[in-house]
Amino acid sequence: MTDPALAICTDRASRHHQLGNTTIRALDEVSISIPRGEFASLLGPSGSGKSTLLNLLAGLDRPTSGAITVLDKDLAKMTSEELAVYRRLTVGMVFQSFNLISSMTVAENVELPLRFAETPRESRAARVKEALDRVELGHRAGHRPTELSGGEQQRCSIARALINHPTILLADEPTGNLDSRTGSEIMTVLDRLNREMGMTILMVTHERAIAERWSQRMIFMADGQFVSEARTQNEARTQNAARTEAQA
Amino acid sequence: MKAGDLLELAGRNLRESILRNSLTTAGISIGVASLLTTVALGIGLQELANRHIGQSGLFDTVYVTSMQDGRGGPDDDAEQPKPKQGAAPAKVLDENARQLVSQVPGVSSVDPEVRFMGDVRTGTVTANAPVGGEVTSSTPATSTPEAAPSVTPNAASAPAPDASHATFVAALPMSSRRDEAFENMKGHYFSRATAAEAIVSNRFAKEVDEKTPGSIVGKTITVQFASREPLPGSTSGGFSVVRKNETVTVVGLIESEPFGGMRRISGAGIFVPTAITEGWNVLQTSDFRGVATDADAQKTYPALLVQVATAGKVPEVQEAIKKLGFRTFSILDATKGLRRFFGILDIFLGIFGSLALIVASLAIINTLIMSVLERTREIGIMKAIGASDGDVKTLFFTEAGAMGLVGGFFGVLLGLGIGALINFGTNLYLTQHHESPDQVWSSPWWLVLFVMAFSIGLSFIAGLYPAARAAKLDPVQALRYE
Repeated sequence: MTDPALAICTDRASRHHQLGNTTIRALDEVSISIPRGEFASLLGPSGSGKSTLLNLLAGLDRPTSGAITVLDKDLAKMTSEELAVYRRLTVGMVFQSFNLISSMTVAENVELPLRFAETPRESRAARVKEALDRVELGHRAGHRPTELSGGEQQRCSIARALINHPTILLADEPTGNLDSRTGSEIMTVLDRLNREMGMTILMVTHERAIAERWSQRMIFMADGQFVSEARTQNEARTQNAARTEAQA
Repeated sequence: MKAGDLLELAGRNLRESILRNSLTTAGISIGVASLLTTVALGIGLQELANRHIGQSGLFDTVYVTSMQDGRGGPDDDAEQPKPKQGAAPAKVLDENARQLVSQVPGVSSVDPEVRFMGDVRTGTVTANAPVGGEVTSSTPATSTPEAAPSVTPNAASAPAPDASHATFVAALPMSSRRDEAFENMKGHYFSRATAAEAIVSNRFAKEVDEKTPGSIVGKTITVQFASREPLPGSTSGGFSVVRKNETVTVVGLIESEPFGGMRRISGAGIFVPTAITEGWNVLQTSDFRGVATDADAQKTYPALLVQVATAGKVPEVQEAIKKLGFRTFSILDATKGLRRFFGILDIFLGIFGSLALIVASLAIINTLIMSVLERTREIGIMKAIGASDGDVKTLFFTEAGAMGLVGGFFGVLLGLGIGALINFGTNLYLTQHHESPDQVWSSPWWLVLFVMAFSIGLSFIAGLYPAARAAKLDPVQALRYE
């Protein structure tokens, strides 16, 4: 049983890959904790294990050893079907390259997780509209992703991640493919989700400036290992968010 | 994922690569059409054979012959009783035998089969005579043969009023009226069992009058044949052979042979009621055998036609008659071998027809593997946002099944079209060769359903590997796939 105030907790989590006779330690005994409602950033150079950790937390991959507990559930012990349900309802993912399905419209992309969740058809349209309005993309619902700007595509991706009302949002370099102005727009959206909805957000980024400006805590990694962490000036907001949730 | 969503997504995915999927579906259609066409052809041929056998009127008839009649043929099989060495002589088909058989439960009537060579003239000939002499007969259907002491050839004969025509004469019971040969005949069937009437075949009528064969109906013809007459005062069991003339009126003309030409009476030019031939004492081949084997030289029949009350009782009637010591033959015996033959034929036709469908199923595998490769990233996205392995597998299964369903539907339409063409072409050929049209291709509803189910089933099987491959994709690797 972990601390109920924690959204994410890893205990010596490792992910090793075997390449011939060589063992690649993509993630090596990383232990971190993220409280509910926190907006944390994972920073580090390429190959430091940031994305590997994010994939493990998203339930897309399984740790070689160690434990990963999200909202009191041990992901390592979940079956494949349970992990699918976890990805569907507990976490939302935002990718650097948006990962929208080009043959579908914006609304259809956003609706897709509702199909897997077997949400009744009659309530879907309203939920799609609500999610698109939240990211100010309602006017582009009928467009294809290729007809949208990078920022719009990323907002569509965020709307899709939010559609099943997840508790945790995992963002893998959400501004990596965007110019700084558009990147700021996306970060504003994420910030609003964290502040207004109390959503726990873990964001992978290369850019320390973005992490310092928008997140409350920075976790530094290198060579697959946890290096250090640092509080940002936004830390006070964490306490506010926790208070909000406690009151709720 | 709910069925509606599954179908919607599968339809969308199939439309994305419409040309490739259409070509694969067309392949399935051709396979289904090939299977349907070949199997339906086998069924059609079987039905055609059954129809022609059915025309023989033997479905509710048992054909009885004497054990003396030991020649080979369809009735000469292992199930028939065999005369035993040193056993009592085989029973002959005489009047006693006829009475015995008629008492078997389920038998409605027993008629002797009569077929003999006759010399036919149009008009009335007033002579009946032993071979070598003549006997007069003044009224139709009656005769006054003159006894002759022995079979002695004599060159003298009465002058013919008209050209004579040698032909086989066969006897028909009144129950034969239901045969389809008499359905659209010119004239009518015998008015009663003992009427001095005849029905002639079109072939014989043309022999008499090539230009207007139909004009024979209503005319009187005289049939001259060999008759057996008892030897007065003889105790040796012999009989004399007498030439006899009988006059009958032609009341009908038929185009095709009765019973599809499948009985011993086939090839006959003239048909007369069985009842009147019994009074004619026609000499038949069985009479000579009677002289050789039976001390009394009694009148015997070459065969008896046993009419059974219902077709379902044929096996038990056959068994009872066999127990009486006679050989039996029914359509069930004939169709046993035929059913086996067509069963094997259908299997082979089905195998050849399925080949195209099996090739088409390989195309489905190929198409779906291509689709898995092309949609690897999409599969990764779907898994990342909550699709389970089962959802992905079911989606690919549905796509395979949809191709099978659509391909099967159009394949059935194509197959039915080809079948209609086969029937049309065959009938065109038959009509040009003055044959009556027939149906050689027949597709029963169960075959259509079977072919559709086979197409969908095979498509699902073809989708097994691609679906499993898609479901097993590692989402992390799939999301990195370019």
